[in-house]
Amino acid sequence: MSLTTKDSILKSTHIQHLYQRAGFGISPKKLEKLSGLKKKEVVKKLFKSSKSITHLYMSTPDIDAFMKADTPKSDPKKFRELIKVSRSKLKDYNLAWVDKMSTSNEELRERMTLFWANHFVVRTNNIVFSQRYNATLRKYALGNFRDFVIAIAKEPAMLSYLNNQQNRKGKPNENFARELMELFTLGIGSYTEKDIKESARAFTGWGHTFKGEFVLRKKQHDFGEKEFFGVKGNFSGEDIIDLILKRPECAQFIAKKIYLHFVNDIPNEGRIGELAIVFRENYSIDEVMRYLFMTNWFYEEDVIGQKIKSPIDLLVQLKRTIPFSFKKPKEFIYIQKLLGQVLLEPPNVAGWAEGKSWIDSNTMMVRLKLPSVLFMNGTIAFDVKGEFEDSYEKFNKKSNFNRRLTVTKNWEVFHKNYGHLNYEELYHHLISTTTNKGTQEFLQSLKKTNKQEFCVQLMSLPEYQLC
Amino acid sequence: MKRRDFLKSSGLASTALFVPSFVQAYGATGVIPSHKKIVILQLSGGNDGLNTLVPYTNDIYFKNRNTIARNKKDVLVINDSHGFHESLTDFKSLYDAGFVSVINNVGYPNPSRSHFRSTDIWHTASGAGEYLKTGWVGRYLEEVVKKPLGAIEVDDTLSLLMKGHSINGLATKDASLFYKTTKDAYFGKIIDKYTATHLSEHNLGYLYKTVVDAKSSAAQIYEKTKVYSSSQEYPNNAFGKQLKTISEFINSGLETQVYYASLGGFDTHANQLNSQKRLLEVYSKGIAAFVKDLKRTGAFKDTIILTFSEFGRRLKQNAAKGTDHGAANMVFLLGEKLKHPGMYNKPDNLANLDSNGDLIYEVDFRNIYASLIKEWLKTEPRSILSGKFKALGLV
Repeated sequence: MSLTTKDSILKSTHIQHLYQRAGFGISPKKLEKLSGLKKKEVVKKLFKSSKSITHLYMSTPDIDAFMKADTPKSDPKKFRELIKVSRSKLKDYNLAWVDKMSTSNEELRERMTLFWANHFVVRTNNIVFSQRYNATLRKYALGNFRDFVIAIAKEPAMLSYLNNQQNRKGKPNENFARELMELFTLGIGSYTEKDIKESARAFTGWGHTFKGEFVLRKKQHDFGEKEFFGVKGNFSGEDIIDLILKRPECAQFIAKKIYLHFVNDIPNEGRIGELAIVFRENYSIDEVMRYLFMTNWFYEEDVIGQKIKSPIDLLVQLKRTIPFSFKKPKEFIYIQKLLGQVLLEPPNVAGWAEGKSWIDSNTMMVRLKLPSVLFMNGTIAFDVKGEFEDSYEKFNKKSNFNRRLTVTKNWEVFHKNYGHLNYEELYHHLISTTTNKGTQEFLQSLKKTNKQEFCVQLMSLPEYQLC
Repeated sequence: MKRRDFLKSSGLASTALFVPSFVQAYGATGVIPSHKKIVILQLSGGNDGLNTLVPYTNDIYFKNRNTIARNKKDVLVINDSHGFHESLTDFKSLYDAGFVSVINNVGYPNPSRSHFRSTDIWHTASGAGEYLKTGWVGRYLEEVVKKPLGAIEVDDTLSLLMKGHSINGLATKDASLFYKTTKDAYFGKIIDKYTATHLSEHNLGYLYKTVVDAKSSAAQIYEKTKVYSSSQEYPNNAFGKQLKTISEFINSGLETQVYYASLGGFDTHANQLNSQKRLLEVYSKGIAAFVKDLKRTGAFKDTIILTFSEFGRRLKQNAAKGTDHGAANMVFLLGEKLKHPGMYNKPDNLANLDSNGDLIYEVDFRNIYASLIKEWLKTEPRSILSGKFKALGLV
């Protein structure tokens, strides 16, 4: 066991581990800068660099103009056209988001934004709503959880995704109320069907305009008395959220989610309980994350290098080591599809399952082949399913076996950042987990005459899939 | 105590995990999967059932579909009220021969009209408000077959349908390409260096095991199928190729029990007539060639083909000569000895629609799964499906 106190010096491997989980890895230069600092200083710096909020904004002038002046009914043809524009902009936005994660210095904020995107899950075809949503996730990523839940509940992307637009007095739609409790705050089993029915009434009339502004439609809102968790009152949506947050199950549920994502796939009830106590105090995300990164157990052997990187983690880390870009955005989306995670396109409101479920024979082969495809001009021998569009011809024509991707990579950045490391150091920088003896022997047997090649070989190991 | 339970409790089953799967035989798990095959085909995008099996005498139908309704003269009449879409000529011959069961009004309570969500529901066999992380075929692999080779998706990415917690099916549409990929020099070298100690490590062990499994499964598929090539002619399109691949897998004696493929493009919001006509022809011709191919080798008697769509389409057509997402829809079962050849139940009731104007389900799709699991795969449905679903006596 490696006991570290807040005043002890944080070991290099532990700094790397912290940055793997709280960010997307660390450059050798930054590691050098942080080496020799005390644990509390390293953690403090991590939070300090994420104090600022830099939003990811992409301009959409045509769509903005239409949303300002028109409605789908006033010009249906233009509207249909713009839906297509919006879809394609969302693909650009996907790439821009990956770019941001790959270059931002607000690493913790970016990591938290990605984490919450898989907690408060939405899917929308509207690029304006999508950007707004992304901004809200980023704004509250380290903020107060209560404010966060309320802000999310009022987002147009969420209101339309979970059908709250159709939630009206006398004809409640329970979708949002159910997921609010099941997936966002309490977890299944901590409420009754009656609680869902009653709380759905409190969210009646919560909707958004075509422009994307939140509105409380008073005529559709049920101002009457509700009975929620056995308490009676003329509860509003905000009241319901407050009542939910009073339950200890809420802090417990979020603490568990944080633990599983940031620490280990295997829950540890004692550690989760610790986090829950800290979280429940003020529902401050900043505080609970600080606490987590200051614990001793976060740096233990059973935690380091034990998690399977998500496809987006994998891609961002590859990109941070050797920057690359695609001439055709579609190709990058296609890689994400093959790996099983397309950013902005979660499978359902429960989000991606993470952990082992990222891995099957096919995704594993893609993972191991990906570095050589990206960086060594390899080909990729896969094809993906057609989209849900009237596009049978396109689908049929698209037999893209062995397609070569139009990827541009920047080896200069790699040499600048990693060139001074020897082969041994490069290995330790890229691989967090302990490598099996057989694999070590294999690595030793490799001719080490080319650092680029060696780097790609390391990235192609099963061990590289872990962080 | 059942043999399987004994093996589980004695720890033998778990030590089997530490043996590379290429030396694992069925015996290691104590369950011999039946030789019955299920081929699952998804008409992806939501096929319009009302123009597939046309109620050509129904006024409500004509009133709601003023430009896309099909008349008696357009359809392949099967009785005095219904006829198949004109593209389904070959399919209708199979129907006439008693090889098709049409189960009408299939769906589930509180239907989702999202492609993604509803596909998930069909794949995981969940209710509308339940989010399962595994597919029902994945759970069958985990419970019964115990290895990835038990189920193949003829595609390059694996759908939720085929995923279990720790065992997943395989995706491939080209056995030799799949094999070549796993034979990739670097890939091969990593596997050569794997040792049993890797497998004891939590996630790292799982990663290595997956690589080893992929390689050994690819080799098994390749070895089995390389000597066999179907002489049957298939339509020259992607769906035809997928079916040909499945028939080659089945006819070459591969042990795989469940196959899955999808035919996309059914999301006909605009100008439906042309696209559906073309798609149903692809389906009908493909499936006819497939059945012929399986019959030739005698494999058809051990095969059931299930065709579904994630939802049906709305009765009322839209302004763009298409139809929007609906709810209940029909399912086709094909096989040699069906218990209910022809119409399993009465088709569409257009007078009684839900608040969206969509068909209301009458048969829960999970009862169809329960039938296949119990009556065809001889497995207790409760071990695969969450909740109790009665088998319907279909196969």
